[in-house]
Amino acid sequence: MSAALRSFEAQWRARSTDALQPIREQAMQRFLKLGLPTPRDETWRYTDLRSVAAQSFEAAPCEARGAIDPHASLSLVTPELGAATVVMINGCPSLKANTSAINGIEISSIKELSRLDPKSMARFFPPATDADQRRWVLLNTALFIDGLHLKITRQVAEPLVILHVSTGERADEAAHPRIIIDAAPGSSATIIEHHIAHGDIAPLNNSNTHISLARDARLEHYRVYATGAGASHIDSLDIHQAHGSHCKQFTIALGGGLVRSSLEAHLNASGASLDSYSLLVGHADRHVDCVNIVTHAAPDTRSRQTARAIASDVSRVIFNSKVIVNAGAVHSDSQQSSRGLLLSPSAEIDTRPQLEIHADEVKCAHGATTGRLDPDMLFYLLSRGLDRETAQSLLVFAFLADVLTGMSVSSARSAIENALISQLPDSQILRKFR
Amino acid sequence: MLVISDLSARVAGKEILNGVNLEVNAGEVHAIMGPNGSGKSTLAQVLAGREDYEVTKGSVTFEGRDLLAMRAEERARAGLFLGFQYPVEIPGVNNVYLLKAALNAKRKAAGEPEVDAYEFLALIRQKMKFMQMSESFLTRGVNEGFSGGEKKRNEVLQMLVLEPKLAILDETDSGLDIDALKVVSTGVNSLRDPKRAVVLVTHYQRLLDYVIPDQVHVLSGGRIVKSGDKSLAQELERRGYDWVMGAQVA
Repeated sequence: MSAALRSFEAQWRARSTDALQPIREQAMQRFLKLGLPTPRDETWRYTDLRSVAAQSFEAAPCEARGAIDPHASLSLVTPELGAATVVMINGCPSLKANTSAINGIEISSIKELSRLDPKSMARFFPPATDADQRRWVLLNTALFIDGLHLKITRQVAEPLVILHVSTGERADEAAHPRIIIDAAPGSSATIIEHHIAHGDIAPLNNSNTHISLARDARLEHYRVYATGAGASHIDSLDIHQAHGSHCKQFTIALGGGLVRSSLEAHLNASGASLDSYSLLVGHADRHVDCVNIVTHAAPDTRSRQTARAIASDVSRVIFNSKVIVNAGAVHSDSQQSSRGLLLSPSAEIDTRPQLEIHADEVKCAHGATTGRLDPDMLFYLLSRGLDRETAQSLLVFAFLADVLTGMSVSSARSAIENALISQLPDSQILRKFR
Repeated sequence: MLVISDLSARVAGKEILNGVNLEVNAGEVHAIMGPNGSGKSTLAQVLAGREDYEVTKGSVTFEGRDLLAMRAEERARAGLFLGFQYPVEIPGVNNVYLLKAALNAKRKAAGEPEVDAYEFLALIRQKMKFMQMSESFLTRGVNEGFSGGEKKRNEVLQMLVLEPKLAILDETDSGLDIDALKVVSTGVNSLRDPKRAVVLVTHYQRLLDYVIPDQVHVLSGGRIVKSGDKSLAQELERRGYDWVMGAQVA
């Protein structure tokens, strides 16, 4: 048993029980039996967590030292937008009494809700499985201290921001943030999860978000990783969609030293539709491993996955996507488009689109390319007198346009663009042309 | 203005140009004709500074400066313009943005201030009207989704905005219907000026009905095998390239 596993088991034994105990118990037993994933596991072949496994972890504290400035690193919404912000510190929600309902979104503590009605909460905790991509989710289920439950009850225009703050004084701490987003029939909302670091040291972050969209619900969801170079982040997102629902999802990796980001979507009824966008930026020695698994479980479902990866310096970016069409899910329509751009000879990009089809009459397409900047495009711009740095930066920025233009929250888009530009070569030149 | 002496060049290890000699003076329009594979486009790309085309011999001067020592962007700023045979599509880079950046790069090199945004837009609209281009062009990516004819019009539009001293137009006439050919020719003619020169690279004679050249050269096997006035183009049209190539062997 690894040091990490032993320490997680010790935390498990030390904690007091709560209303979710049976679910937690099942998850922890499965986690202890299976252990941490290794590169021998299918979805972990590109990410080696041996250094994590060798550490002993303690629970990260729920308080931060010093005041948290919500606009500290990368503000995704302008104050004029009227967006509400909920802060989670190392996975612990800081909810004020009387402010639990904002603009048609009821915000509650998962722990509190499960105490009142444990049965209704159970549906947001999928049964424990052996699937390797869910290994850290088991640990999250067992150890999360509390979490946020967001019930979207109607059509909400203003985005809601969840500011995940990672903060600590020691590197051997771990946090397990948990979010549940439950959208009622016909509701719509925009939710931005923004992961930032407060201070130089961040605990190991093992977060999970569970999204459940009822009939005809619409959600635009962002998860933006903007922590520091020393941070390790293992994040998983589960999306369950009912008839006619639509989810537009953006995964933006702009920070962190090690980012492992997974998405599992289940299109459970006809008319369910998913647009997933991934913008994965490798910078310095960052490692970004993104795994998407989209299951078409009903006829007439639609999914689009658009991934753009950029790797500079000695970074490595992985985009591993899979579409599964279940038996009977006829007329499923899926597309996977992933493109990689290498900006340095020592950087690496791996893309791996996969299809697993068990039904006839489906439309499934995938395309993946990785390369350097197109020499014909570069020569064209140079031949018009643009200097080389400007021409290169423009082409890099153009490469990302497919993902950026899909964003409806314009302030988030420009903040993400700004942060992105600062990590690209020749950022000063590019900034002046926007 | 442009003096090419004994120029030889290689592309992917293959010798394409074999001792080209050509002199173009200010105020002149030259046409370079020749069969497919004769090296016309290679010559145009070498003059514009394409790096993967290797010059193995000879020299080129542009207004007395050593052109081959200059990088592509320096050549552009010094007043050389290449109209591409196959203009590349660059989705995500706005057309107008590129034009503005190109114009400012040239002005900066000449020690002039950057163009005023309002004046620039007025200039673009005027030139677009002249080239009979639709307003939608303003919001589109560079050549993105353009038809062959629209791409060629866009090349000429860029040329009109940048006002180069030397314009090299590589088969700007190919793939154009007669109306588009007239528009493009009007654009090229509007640039004729005692201080400027134009080099038209073309396979067919029909462009030369609208843009009358001072001199016509035939490129074959990587060198200029025959030069003459505009009547040479007509004779070529009548007798075909085999006539010149046969004459060369004889």
